[in-house]
Amino acid sequence: MTRAVLMRELRLALRSGGGAGLGLVFFLIVILLIPFGVGPDETLLALIAPGTLWIAALLACLLSLDRIFQADYEDGTLDILTLSPMPLEGLVAIKGLAHWLTTGLPLVIAAPVLGLTLSLPAPAYGWLIASLLVGTPALSFLGTIGAALTVGVRRGGLLLSLLVLPLYIPTLIFGASVVTSAAEGQSVTTAFQLLGGITLFTLALAPFTAAATLRMQMR
Amino acid sequence: MSLWEFANPVKFIRLSGRLLPWVSGLTVICLAVGLIWGLFFTPEEARQGHIAKIIYIHVPLAMMAINAWGMMFVTSLIWLIRRHHVSVLAAKAAAPIGATFTLLAIITGAIWGAPTWGTPWVWDPRLTSFAVLLVFYFGYMALWAAIEDPDKAADLTSVLAMVGTVFAFLSRYAVNFWNQGLHQGASLSLDKEENVADVFYIPLLLSIAGFVLLFLALVLLRTQTEVRARRLRALMLREGANA
Amino acid sequence: MIGQKKKRRVQLIVVGMVLLAAASALIGFGFRQGIQFFRSPSEVVESPPGPDELFRIGGLVEVGSLIEGSGETITFIVTDNAKTVPVSYTGILPDLFDEGQGVIALGHLREGTFYATEILAKHDESYMPKEVIDSLKEQGLYEAPDS
Repeated sequence: MTRAVLMRELRLALRSGGGAGLGLVFFLIVILLIPFGVGPDETLLALIAPGTLWIAALLACLLSLDRIFQADYEDGTLDILTLSPMPLEGLVAIKGLAHWLTTGLPLVIAAPVLGLTLSLPAPAYGWLIASLLVGTPALSFLGTIGAALTVGVRRGGLLLSLLVLPLYIPTLIFGASVVTSAAEGQSVTTAFQLLGGITLFTLALAPFTAAATLRMQMR
Repeated sequence: MSLWEFANPVKFIRLSGRLLPWVSGLTVICLAVGLIWGLFFTPEEARQGHIAKIIYIHVPLAMMAINAWGMMFVTSLIWLIRRHHVSVLAAKAAAPIGATFTLLAIITGAIWGAPTWGTPWVWDPRLTSFAVLLVFYFGYMALWAAIEDPDKAADLTSVLAMVGTVFAFLSRYAVNFWNQGLHQGASLSLDKEENVADVFYIPLLLSIAGFVLLFLALVLLRTQTEVRARRLRALMLREGANA
Repeated sequence: MIGQKKKRRVQLIVVGMVLLAAASALIGFGFRQGIQFFRSPSEVVESPPGPDELFRIGGLVEVGSLIEGSGETITFIVTDNAKTVPVSYTGILPDLFDEGQGVIALGHLREGTFYATEILAKHDESYMPKEVIDSLKEQGLYEAPDS
């Protein structure tokens, strides 16, 4: 059951034109725009690379959030899924996981390559991958809360961003701090622990919150 | 008689109607005395000079900006548990007031900071947290505006108030990690030694009381309006169904 | 079927609790290690940062060290009562900046001197009337609050 729903989600995301790929292309474009904005100076780019990569990843994650529940809510699939033996919390967790696999994971893989173009210092690459790997699941799962809140709102994309972006602040602070500290050759343990803590906290609570919200939406 | 009796809209309207003139009157008295005393009849502060007098506005505004969100958290929780309409409408009524207080606290702080710190804005934890709080207020208000069904909107905004509270706290501590900042510690506290000399202290307490009462009066007034608007909506729906 | 759904939800709640416990442990551990934002003169003297690293230094302006040079350039010494670092700065100073007062400066350390691009004065949380402090000073009873 779990597997079947996950495969369905992945297939839908990959085949409905511009679901998963779009976030990645967006990530690429934002990073490409940065040097046009601040100039091609390599020291400056290296200085802002950690934060820029994290913010771009965060915005790319945001793009496909409104798809998490919207289609299933509109065509009634969500009502049918709530009748299945799988609890709604589990469904939310699977949808969050599917969103991360199709949006977050490609960003983790692309980030080091884009880091090269921003002259990110050598010691930071490992921690860039690690921090995105640990941090992006929180972005997808927090997104499920925002998506559940705005599922009935027509053209709710902008509202969704307004609701979700403030929730991303702790993840962004600790994620970018890990990469910055690594680039400066300082200890990253504290920031990395806190980043992991926030992610686990989100993974634990977001499915319950989003499921409760969806029940309110279907009442 | 239990306290929940006042959650009954009819009783709330009656009680708040009786309270409102008294609360408004007290607000005017406290604010007038506190602010006039504070702004015109206190001596010059030792190192900051007259600009320090902005604390009579800034400190109460900042306190109420946070307390308003706290009130919204409690009243939203009451709605989720006991489903009293007055409770969630009070939260809805408080949001724009809280947002305004937050914005004014930031502006008065900037006016004070420009000469005293040498900059109107720094990315200091307290300042940044207020900017974050403002964004949470905006999100809450936007969600109310976006959903048509009033009960569903009440449910969803209450969830947002819960999630927002948790993440406002998390952000507050995360921001401390990111920047330690310039803002002084709290000048007033219940358990620590007093930092404000008596001449400044009494007018400050008066103006704080004034702003608390102002908030209360505005929330009562706006909640009355919301309750009546809700009743109007119900009546119009019934009319529409009959016609 | 309902029973199965309930069982799965309980399983999910247990998983959630475990994750929450792990999260609290990580966050609690992380915050206990403490965080610092500006460096004290002692830390800067003991392990000097490279010339390209932008950082903040925080401490007191040493009494008698403030020298106003040509134009808007000033130099002073920042101290934490153990070690000292000379600071050079060009620009407008905030009102609260004075000898014996707290200061935070942003800039680079080059050849032992801190070249600040931004100076911020730190204010403590005490508010005292001017006349009181003046009279306390006359009687020799006044102690600066942050010394």
